[in-house]
Amino acid sequence: MTRRLSLTPYLFLAPALLVIAVFVLYPIGAVVYYSFTDYNIVKPPIWVGLKNYQQLARDPIFWLALRNSFVYLLVTPTLIGLSLLLAIVVNRRLPGITAFRALFFIPVISGSIAVGIAWRLMLDTNGIINGLLLSLGLLQEPIQWLAEPALTLPLAMALTTWLGLGYYMMIFLAGLQNIPEELYDSAVIDGCNAWQKHWHVSVPGLRPQITFVAVISSLAALQVFNEIFTLTGGLGGILNSGVTIVFYLWRQAFRLNHAGLASAIAMVLLAITLVFSILNIRLLERGTEEH
Amino acid sequence: MTPSLSRAPALRLPLSLTVRRGLETLLVYAVLASVAVITVFPFVWVFFTSFKGPNDPIVSVPPQLIPQDPTLGNYLRVWNQLPVWRFYVNSLLATGTVVVCNTLLSSLAAYPLAKMRFPGREAIFYLLLATYIVPPVLTSIPSFVLAVTVFRYYDQLPSVIFPYLAGVLNIFLLRQAFKAVPDDLIDAGRIDGAGELRIWWEILMPIIRPSLATVAIITFVEQWNNFFWPSLMLHTRENMTLQVGLVALQGAFANDARGIAAGVVMTVVPMILFFAALQRQFIRGLTGAVKG
Repeated sequence: MTRRLSLTPYLFLAPALLVIAVFVLYPIGAVVYYSFTDYNIVKPPIWVGLKNYQQLARDPIFWLALRNSFVYLLVTPTLIGLSLLLAIVVNRRLPGITAFRALFFIPVISGSIAVGIAWRLMLDTNGIINGLLLSLGLLQEPIQWLAEPALTLPLAMALTTWLGLGYYMMIFLAGLQNIPEELYDSAVIDGCNAWQKHWHVSVPGLRPQITFVAVISSLAALQVFNEIFTLTGGLGGILNSGVTIVFYLWRQAFRLNHAGLASAIAMVLLAITLVFSILNIRLLERGTEEH
Repeated sequence: MTPSLSRAPALRLPLSLTVRRGLETLLVYAVLASVAVITVFPFVWVFFTSFKGPNDPIVSVPPQLIPQDPTLGNYLRVWNQLPVWRFYVNSLLATGTVVVCNTLLSSLAAYPLAKMRFPGREAIFYLLLATYIVPPVLTSIPSFVLAVTVFRYYDQLPSVIFPYLAGVLNIFLLRQAFKAVPDDLIDAGRIDGAGELRIWWEILMPIIRPSLATVAIITFVEQWNNFFWPSLMLHTRENMTLQVGLVALQGAFANDARGIAAGVVMTVVPMILFFAALQRQFIRGLTGAVKG
């Protein structure tokens, strides 16, 4: 009995662990090794020590990619603010409200590639966005949305926000519905108006959800690829204006065959992600201590 | 609270309150409508554009949304030039296989982590937790090398199936679900002489069905929309999934907005229909992961 039981858990775990070992654990080890080698995937890797890291340190595009990725993190506060507001708006019983909630959720499931390509069509110089703005008299000349370096990143960030809004709204909505009604009643008795009520009751009550959304959306922002890929047609934008860490990794590894250098970029991404995760866990712990 | 106090506001407020409530409701609907327009407009525009004939302008001042000269020609052009039906079959095959296998293997692994005691349980759990933090992009370079040199499935459909046969997030979610099941049920099964495999399949799996649905939906949406890894692997058009095929289509129809729009519609419509049919399950499933 005990012997049979002692093997059973490992047998249950074996298939999944095998998949994870081959496709996650081994690659993590391998990418650490590749980052110290000269490697182009075709020929065997050659040990070069820190050369890739030194090359990155001297590479202005890499620094630009880092900067762009940090700028991209601005989607997190934007998303938290907008989706929280929207959750407050949809958190009431009105005819048709579930239909609206479902509509807002459509971008979440429709996939960033298809939507990104649709946005690219709309933002074309001869696209509907310019058409609308010209018709309304808001523009005199069409704007080259996709060819303007200063707009590449903001447009991609807008797309990320647009794609995620409905998802985070639903998370906040679920949280709002767990806040007891009495708390709002007593806030009103204390003289709070509608907005103060949400500031003093909803926001503190949603602390776990806010932390969760901050973690998830900032990790996603650090790893953004599809939005940049579709909006820039796979090129990264004029003057590399849309190149983020992951986009640069992809370009170095799979367009330029610099797998060694790309592995070093992957290590930098891992380091940033770890720092972020630790910060986030700290935040989470502080959040739960106060409760 | 005394009766007089609770009645006081009701006496004072009726008229101004109804007016205020009405105004507020109006404002709420205005906000809802504008957000809905922003959310839905790209889909509506792409939909109409995909039916525009050669004489319908893509853009004009003032803009014309609805085609005057509607045609199915754009769809036919796309369908004839690219193996779109293969994209569908490939996406269905890859996504279906991954959803079924991943749910089963993850559930199999989650059971002992939740309900059995054995040496190394904590170590395995924390190892899995640690891999969850690692960005998926990180593993793409060695996985690419493996695909070419070891598994030899580069440019073939299995390349977008095998790496996803089990998932750490799914193991966590199902572990939580198993933990919530009372031990008595499992003990009763053991006393009846059922093996662990039978206990897992016949007693536990039916109980955690809602969590299985959650996991299946998350996996489904993720795989159907998966792009990064499939785009690295699949290059022959006949082997592409929908997302990869759509990008190929965008390249092939570079100056043909109507054709690209038709491709976008064909890619997006199955998922939207599926969502429309199973709205509640989708929303609960995708946001339900939060509690895990």
